[in-house]
Amino acid sequence: MTDCDPPVLEISDLVHRFGTRVALDRLNAKVSAGQIVGLVGRNGAGKTTTMRAVMGILRPSGGEVSWDGHVVGPSDWLRFGYMPEERGLYPQMRVLDQLSYFGELHGLDRLTARNVAQAWLGGLGLEGREQDRVVALSHGNQQRVQLAVALVHRPELLVLDEPFSGLDPTAVDALSDTLRMEAQRGTAVLFSSHQLELVEHLCDRVIILEEGRMLASGTLAELRALLPRYLRVQVDGPTGWSANLQGAAVVRGDADGVLLRLEAGTDPQAILRAALAAGPVEQFGFEAGGLADVYRELMSR
Amino acid sequence: MKRIPTTRLVMKRELTERLQGRLTWIMTALTTLGVVALIVVPALVRQPARPTVVGLMGSSAQALGPALQRSATEAKVRLRIINVASNEAARSGVKDGTLDVALSVGARSAVSQVKATLSPTMRALLQSTLDEAHLQQALREAGVPLSSVLRALTPVPFSTMALQPPPPDRAARSVAALAAGLLLYVSLGIYGAAVANGVAQEKTSRTAEVLLAAVRPRQLMTGKVVGIGLVGLGQLAIAVTGGLIANAAVHRTEIPSTVWLLLPAILLFFVLGFAFYSFAFAATAATVARQEEVQFATLPIGLPIIAGFLLTYAAIASPSAWWIRLLSFLPPLTPILMPARIALGHVSSWEVILAVLIMLASIYGMARLAARIYAGAIVRGGARLSWRAALRLQQE
Repeated sequence: MTDCDPPVLEISDLVHRFGTRVALDRLNAKVSAGQIVGLVGRNGAGKTTTMRAVMGILRPSGGEVSWDGHVVGPSDWLRFGYMPEERGLYPQMRVLDQLSYFGELHGLDRLTARNVAQAWLGGLGLEGREQDRVVALSHGNQQRVQLAVALVHRPELLVLDEPFSGLDPTAVDALSDTLRMEAQRGTAVLFSSHQLELVEHLCDRVIILEEGRMLASGTLAELRALLPRYLRVQVDGPTGWSANLQGAAVVRGDADGVLLRLEAGTDPQAILRAALAAGPVEQFGFEAGGLADVYRELMSR
Repeated sequence: MKRIPTTRLVMKRELTERLQGRLTWIMTALTTLGVVALIVVPALVRQPARPTVVGLMGSSAQALGPALQRSATEAKVRLRIINVASNEAARSGVKDGTLDVALSVGARSAVSQVKATLSPTMRALLQSTLDEAHLQQALREAGVPLSSVLRALTPVPFSTMALQPPPPDRAARSVAALAAGLLLYVSLGIYGAAVANGVAQEKTSRTAEVLLAAVRPRQLMTGKVVGIGLVGLGQLAIAVTGGLIANAAVHRTEIPSTVWLLLPAILLFFVLGFAFYSFAFAATAATVARQEEVQFATLPIGLPIIAGFLLTYAAIASPSAWWIRLLSFLPPLTPILMPARIALGHVSSWEVILAVLIMLASIYGMARLAARIYAGAIVRGGARLSWRAALRLQQE
């Protein structure tokens, strides 16, 4: 790696065991600066364990996490921002004090921490609440403060565990915008979510975890390539033309025609010819599966 | 502006939070008031001993006046003798308290009237005066020269020389030992519990996980312990100062000679004891699953603190007993027992130095053990962990 390369988070052969249970089984992953990477997987797949290992909260049983070419250590963790799945703030501490305290813990001097904290509170719509105790804020506003805690020191890497859970649609949009802005600024973003649609819209890359192992990773297009191809065909003519096609099975038929699942190697032109033989073809096109389809497909295998 | 080191930041936050909280000031006020009351109340209650008032009824009794006064002076008893005109006057005087004793002397017997009981001292004083008068009169009547007999009756001077006399201020030293024991017992208990509750609050509110993204577990624990410890030390210093001011105000003369050693010893052993106990409190509190469990979980840590205080009584009763000396070197008991022994004045300087060294070594060991338990348990969800389970987690 040369000095000009943007920093990259690299997770190599990460292993972690809780007693006899294997939580992470030789996991490999990468997040580059300016990239938003989504971690997807069912409960217990290893998302939180991965994030805790990245943040140094948990010492993995094996493998390593590196940042910018070296194994991560305390000085790196100071430059990371973290939002755990279960939010945690001092309930009785005042909002501004709390935010600047976390800023100072992450290496800002007192004055800068206070100024930046003030700016973030303004940016997140918490102006005028600086002197309120955290416990007096609404759930949504507490979430905003929690996000601000992760962002206050302008981290180089953001690690967010289920940041969207419990947010209303407006807050989801606001958080999505914030993450995009951070990525544009050059921050590497790693976050986990069960809301696949969100991950699909927000992420440059997706990592799908299952039982501590990486099931798949890549851009949405790369992941889609893992799916069988679906073809939608609408023919103005008698139904039943698609019943006995070679290499294509009917998934469902409705007013919009039939949805066919093509086996690998099936020539779409042969399907088109069969359709034309049945009548005029009004619609003929591939349907792109979403991340949810990819996830379901991979899980069913 | 320069960045403050992490442990100091954590410490500063604890300090600020406690000083902003009303509870800290209420506790400081109560502790100081307690110490002040301990000094002022006895001074107010205890009045200077007034002389015993003896009323002499009738000429026979009144003739004894000078002899009685002489005997009282020899026995170092303060006496005020007044003549009483009648039996009625004597009775009413005893009843209303203007007289402590009313004495009437007949030909063959004497009667003293008191409200309830006659003190043994007064009884002995009256009896010996009566006996002497009776003897003199009998000798005079028998024609025996008084001077020769009296010489024979003069008691042989008898004195005792103690090789190890108890200190003249023994009572005051005992009070000081008890006060020091109580103050340390209360302070260690209160501030140990404060550390435990603070740690458990950070764990159960999940703040610990957010903090540990920037702070190492050891820094987090040490910062908390030092921050809360400083508040405790400040409170103790205020209470001790309050005590000294109160003492000066009531002009109480009974300051034990050991006090000037005791005051710095209280502060020193608070620091040592707090360091030892608070690490144990922090580690244990990190293993709980819910805030409500803290009190029960930390109960075993509080027991030696209570034991140390109770042993203060034993130390007062027998300050040089070998087992008290031995126990005062046992780290969980040292912080309370050693200052108590210092107050009692039965301790040599090498003993204090040795106790401090043992404490320092124990604190080091406890801090290391606690740091490992704390690091293993603080972000661990689920049910309460044992110390052993937490240690295993850290090794995984």
